[in-house]
Amino acid sequence: MENKRTIDSQDAQIKRLLDSFLPVRSSVNGSELSGDTHLDEDSLAAFVEGNLNQRQSQPLVKHLTNCSFCRHITAELIKLDYVFAQVEETRSLNYANETEPTKASEVLSGLLSRIFGDSASAVFAHNEAETGEEKDSAKPEPPEENQK
Amino acid sequence: MLPESSINTDLISKCEPLMDEIFARCHANSPNFGVRSDCFKDSLRKTAQKYLASALPDQPNLEELQNFLSQVLADDLFLAVGCANGSELAWWEFDQQHRSYLERVARHLAKTEIDAQDVIDTVYVELYGTRVVDGERVSKFATYSGRGSLRGWLRTVIWHSLVDLHRTSHDEVSLDEMTETVGEGSAHAAFAESPRGGESEMLEHISKERYRKATLYGLEKAFANLDDHEKLLLLYYHVDNLKLREIARLVENESSPLRDWLQRKSATREKEPASRVHESTIMRWLEKCYAKVLQNFRSELQTGHKLKSEEIDICLSLATEDLAGASLYRNLMTT
Repeated sequence: MENKRTIDSQDAQIKRLLDSFLPVRSSVNGSELSGDTHLDEDSLAAFVEGNLNQRQSQPLVKHLTNCSFCRHITAELIKLDYVFAQVEETRSLNYANETEPTKASEVLSGLLSRIFGDSASAVFAHNEAETGEEKDSAKPEPPEENQK
Repeated sequence: MLPESSINTDLISKCEPLMDEIFARCHANSPNFGVRSDCFKDSLRKTAQKYLASALPDQPNLEELQNFLSQVLADDLFLAVGCANGSELAWWEFDQQHRSYLERVARHLAKTEIDAQDVIDTVYVELYGTRVVDGERVSKFATYSGRGSLRGWLRTVIWHSLVDLHRTSHDEVSLDEMTETVGEGSAHAAFAESPRGGESEMLEHISKERYRKATLYGLEKAFANLDDHEKLLLLYYHVDNLKLREIARLVENESSPLRDWLQRKSATREKEPASRVHESTIMRWLEKCYAKVLQNFRSELQTGHKLKSEEIDICLSLATEDLAGASLYRNLMTT
């Protein structure tokens, strides 16, 4: 038990050490690429979207561990992707909230008109624009099932 | 940047029927883009060369190549080829589908509306292409491969364009300087302070110095011995400050190679390969990396520096004490 606690505390120490060691290591060695060029936009985008398999992404991952320039771009793209995904999610939720009542009322309206005829749909706000003449002239049709 | 090698041409020619099929499908969806079959198939070949050839010396087999071609986002590529060729209808479609997205990304990334507008204009000019090589206009669209989505690619083009814009307005500033805050100056002094006092302090200073150097050596070696995907995970978290949820987003795609590597021994993955990756999972992956670094660190110091277990504990404690200033590592690494 005691031994486990020591290991946990050393893991935490290593975590803290890496937190200060890696940024410095990266700023000292990060952009030193011997004769290597940076990744192109196409590769960066495909990597960030997770569209490359292990074999295809292996050289990219290796490059990203050595090149802070390209890695930083991928990190920014990941952040951007996350933000936009959140925005899209919120939008679709809002859209769903806005459209839900309309859809529900349409469904109910359709259901009631099948049971009681078209005049019953007048109780829904979206039919208020109808003129008095139209209402008067509208004669309820019997549901198809009753005609058989 | 990917290695320049090539896939066997016989193998590619065996995929001609599949490429014809992909072309026919795209053409049926967008018959007015004026994209010719040979032109589109040429783009598909280039894409395969670019991504599959990078995996050489192992030549892909026919099945792998066919799978790869089937995964290409063909409609996006078809649109890009149409735009690269200057088809007015393709451009109209591109504008309809992507302009507002492009503007949103630019506005999100740029500091000012003027910068955003500048970038949008620049990107459009680049996409159309003003450079002429061998009598032909070179459109940026020609560099899109269809491996990722057209939107993902556009996002990257915008990002690069913003960096270029920033560079032209801040001469001689490197990207690292521009995007990362590196504590310079006074921090350097902390570790290099001269010993004060008598002989015992001098000896203490010398032994501390020895342990500190050993610590740095151990950390460097321990990190270097990790697999590349483990290094990348640690760098994203500790250097680029990606949050756990952002890393989770990166590996959301169930075919993500990072996810494959890090999760390969997980029982959950075997049961549910498409299961969502939660922040706690990323934390567990990180913890595994810390444990591996610690193990490597101890073994490096035991074998490389012949330190005893108690001495390694001293190294860890000393380094932890020094954490107040990152100067320790900067100073030692640059000397």
